[in-house]
Amino acid sequence: MAQLEADAEIGAGLYAFDPVLDGAHAAAKDSDEDSRVAFGRFIRLMRRHRGLTLEKLADDTDVEIVELVEIEDDPRYKPRLRTVYQLANYFEVPQAKLQQVAGLTIPRDARLIDEAVRFAARSESVAALTPEEQAALEAFVTVLSGQK
Amino acid sequence: MTVTVTPVFLFNVEQAGLEKAELWDAITERQLADWEAEWLPELFKYIQQLHRAGVHRQFWPQSRQWNWRRKVEVLQGMLSHPAFSILCGGITQGMMILDLTSKRCRLDGQKGQHMVYVEFVENAPWNRPELSNQPRYRGIGSILIRAAIALSNQEEFKGRIGLHSLPQANSFYANTCGMTDMGIDPEYEGLRYFEMTPEQAEAFIAKGNQP
Repeated sequence: MAQLEADAEIGAGLYAFDPVLDGAHAAAKDSDEDSRVAFGRFIRLMRRHRGLTLEKLADDTDVEIVELVEIEDDPRYKPRLRTVYQLANYFEVPQAKLQQVAGLTIPRDARLIDEAVRFAARSESVAALTPEEQAALEAFVTVLSGQK
Repeated sequence: MTVTVTPVFLFNVEQAGLEKAELWDAITERQLADWEAEWLPELFKYIQQLHRAGVHRQFWPQSRQWNWRRKVEVLQGMLSHPAFSILCGGITQGMMILDLTSKRCRLDGQKGQHMVYVEFVENAPWNRPELSNQPRYRGIGSILIRAAIALSNQEEFKGRIGLHSLPQANSFYANTCGMTDMGIDPEYEGLRYFEMTPEQAEAFIAKGNQP
């Protein structure tokens, strides 16, 4: 039996992931934060675009309202994978790309992250969706959806 | 807490021979101390080597924040979450935590049936090929999976087990254990989900019984 196994890796389950040094987490946080600002801004604008309250979005997506508040307001907050999955489905954007923007996966598409940062810069958090915000939101959805 | 210790053998790679080991049906303070004092420093040493060699963080071993000790302490002694560990040479070489109640089979033909879900299984860092040029012991994964199957039989789940494999372990579960690969589970950090049928469990046990 031991020879059948040879030198195979056997790790299974989330707790089998290796821990990393605290410093590594800090470095990762910095690089992910730019993108997460865009993620939070995107969720907020999509919600307002549809005229939803946080409560309604939480109900519709089966996501804790506390997590939605953290996503919209705290770029240091790392959303859960399930949450990004639920939000991507709800807002009908590709989940893999939204995961990248949320900093959950390693970006393979540098342009997407550039666009995310540009989107964050163009959009502002005000009560009503301005035409500029509307345009920024639509442009970013187009990029996320890979239409051009 | 009563612990049952079963004699088993691991393959000592350096000595190219079998060495007496112990399969415990528990994770106790002793194993947790080994994890903290032996496993973690070894892991960090490896990560430090990568860091000093200028290897970008994205190529380091997969990472995750965790509080494993707290998790084990919570689960310790719960009938729904039995645990196993293997000791050899006076040190913990592998650990496993099972879940008997909250997961059901997904595979067509046994969907919805009870099974033993492997919540966590891991080798000591010095037994892991991606961390060590020459792993010290072989056979830990096979013994632990056999223990999971035995418990599944004992619970009358007919040897059915399931688990989410780390990417580098996919081949072990698909090829060595002969489990069915049900693909990436988007609900589980993108890990692949594997499930074993009663027939596959029987075949795996038979394979291990061959001389």
